[in-house]
Amino acid sequence: MPARAGGLLVLAIGLLAVLFASVTVGARPISLADVWAALTTVDPDSTTHRIILELRLPRTLVGLLVGAALGLSGAILQGATRNPLADPGLLGIEAGAALCVVLGIAVFGISTLSGYVWLAFLGAGIATVVVYAIASMGREGATPVKLALSGAAVTAALYSVTSAFLITSVTTLDQIRFWQVGALSGRTMDILWQVAPFLGAGILLALTTGRILDGLSLGEDVARGLGQRVQLSRAYVGFVAVILAGAAVAACGPIAFVGLTIPHVARAMTGPNYRWILPFSMLLGPILLLGADIVGRVIAPPGELQVGIVTAAIGAPFFIAFVRRRKLAEL
Amino acid sequence: MANVKFAGGFAMLKSMLVAALLFSFAATPGLAAEWSYTDGTGQTVTLDHVPNRIVMHANTAAGLIPLGIRPIAIYVDSPVAEDKSLQGLDLSGIEIVGEAWGQIDIEKVAALQPDLFLAEWWPLDKAFSGLESGAGSTNQQILKLAPITGPTQGDSIVKLIGDYETLARSLGANLDDPQIVADKAAFETALGKFKAAVASKPNLTALPVWAGTDALYVAATQGSSELMDFAGWGLKLITPELADDRGYWETLSWEQADKYQPDLLLVDNRSDTTMQTAAAQPMWTSIKAAAAGQVTGWPAFWLRNYKAYAQALDKLSAAIDGADENLTN
Repeated sequence: MPARAGGLLVLAIGLLAVLFASVTVGARPISLADVWAALTTVDPDSTTHRIILELRLPRTLVGLLVGAALGLSGAILQGATRNPLADPGLLGIEAGAALCVVLGIAVFGISTLSGYVWLAFLGAGIATVVVYAIASMGREGATPVKLALSGAAVTAALYSVTSAFLITSVTTLDQIRFWQVGALSGRTMDILWQVAPFLGAGILLALTTGRILDGLSLGEDVARGLGQRVQLSRAYVGFVAVILAGAAVAACGPIAFVGLTIPHVARAMTGPNYRWILPFSMLLGPILLLGADIVGRVIAPPGELQVGIVTAAIGAPFFIAFVRRRKLAEL
Repeated sequence: MANVKFAGGFAMLKSMLVAALLFSFAATPGLAAEWSYTDGTGQTVTLDHVPNRIVMHANTAAGLIPLGIRPIAIYVDSPVAEDKSLQGLDLSGIEIVGEAWGQIDIEKVAALQPDLFLAEWWPLDKAFSGLESGAGSTNQQILKLAPITGPTQGDSIVKLIGDYETLARSLGANLDDPQIVADKAAFETALGKFKAAVASKPNLTALPVWAGTDALYVAATQGSSELMDFAGWGLKLITPELADDRGYWETLSWEQADKYQPDLLLVDNRSDTTMQTAAAQPMWTSIKAAAAGQVTGWPAFWLRNYKAYAQALDKLSAAIDGADENLTN
């Protein structure tokens, strides 16, 4: 137990270091003195100060919340569905968000990131309800396997409709392609304010689901034997995961591998106890996301690489190496 | 068929003529009005008659319709309403056989029995518009229906329009039509005003850009024919540092958006949303020209006729006239 608490402390320190780097490192070299000046004595005419306050600070805070949300939602979805490959992409959350954003651009001409946020949220919610409704059909209700199958089918259906819109409108494609890769760049304070309440509440709720997930991860029969109302528990944690993943995808677009990878890393550090996996995932998520974002900012000067590309590039080989070393099915 | 001009004749005479033509074709190919066109790569397409069932790429239609040569069908890289080059043109009676990049509805095209395809040759892609690698895999099959040719994309829209005039004349256009003459005269007037505007602001520099939420993209002058024209007429365009020699753009993180400080910003106006996206970025105004409102549209890659070019030049001249040439040095 003390080892895990110590681990949590180390991660917290690591996260602080990443947050510090995220504000101080970017595509434009800015000295620490200037960063400090920007944060203390604001000069609205200074380009340097505005870069710190209007670009780096919001993207750092968005990255912090979204990283935590992705880590937690991944952990919850893996626990609740007992599927080691579960992530926000699994239950149609990302596909639903993407379709709604595309519809907003193509049909209603919405072109601002802050406009996309609500669309993405709406789409994530609708898609999840549909996935759950389909999985619930039949006698045994929404079992993990049926959820995964229903999620895969709905995701495929949603993406085909999305593609139909994209190949027929260059303008829509132009606008969506930045959203669709997943990025922290271009995220301003107003986007942060829109998603922060959902992410904040979702993170707090997520941290209370450890006991439920520990029960569910023992299997349906054992959980029921321990006095859990399995369907209700699963619906509740699913709801929390949708809030987290929906808000995350709304803020940044779909970001690959964070939600998938982080819970496995956390599990390797803590063992199978979700009361520990959840806080570890919450800290590891933003470390990975912001770390990847910082790499993306400096790797292609004077341009940047979007964080979704970096997480995919880092995440894929890392995940493969990880899978080969550990037996993933131990959920 | 070559006998189309004799359609009013007696049926018997017509069929006799066809027979005669068929027999004599090999010996006297010059009997019918033969048509041929040599594209920029030296490839010559020859037909036994002047084609009148032509399917064109949208940009080529935008070059030829104002000169009086109308296609029977066009394929467009986007929905027709979003294609800047087609704006203001009368498309009545013209079938649309594609409304997405790389997509040509081969069945519709085949039903139209075209005798020629016209599109622009892109030297970098080594392909005609619509037949690029990456375009629809069935597109190449249009070549089984009829040959394709057209002018070459180069370093000047004015030259390209000249190539369209040559092509149109060979297809039977009357370039002395009053409307065509008037369009050309309007262009000459607009060009005179543009050159005068540029000459009156010797210190003015301009920067052509495309804005995304992820970055600001700065265009290379040599990557775009109209920018080459502008530069040739004296406009000082800032040259970005390109990462590689095939690039059209330099990508600038918004943190680096003020790397270049022009007096006038030219924003790619293929889509109206680009300007909105630019204005929504906090660091857009770190470019002094943006902060001072010295911003205008850049008619990027879509000018194909004198009328559109004259309108574009008039807007640019007005923006130059209104700009402070000493905003930056």
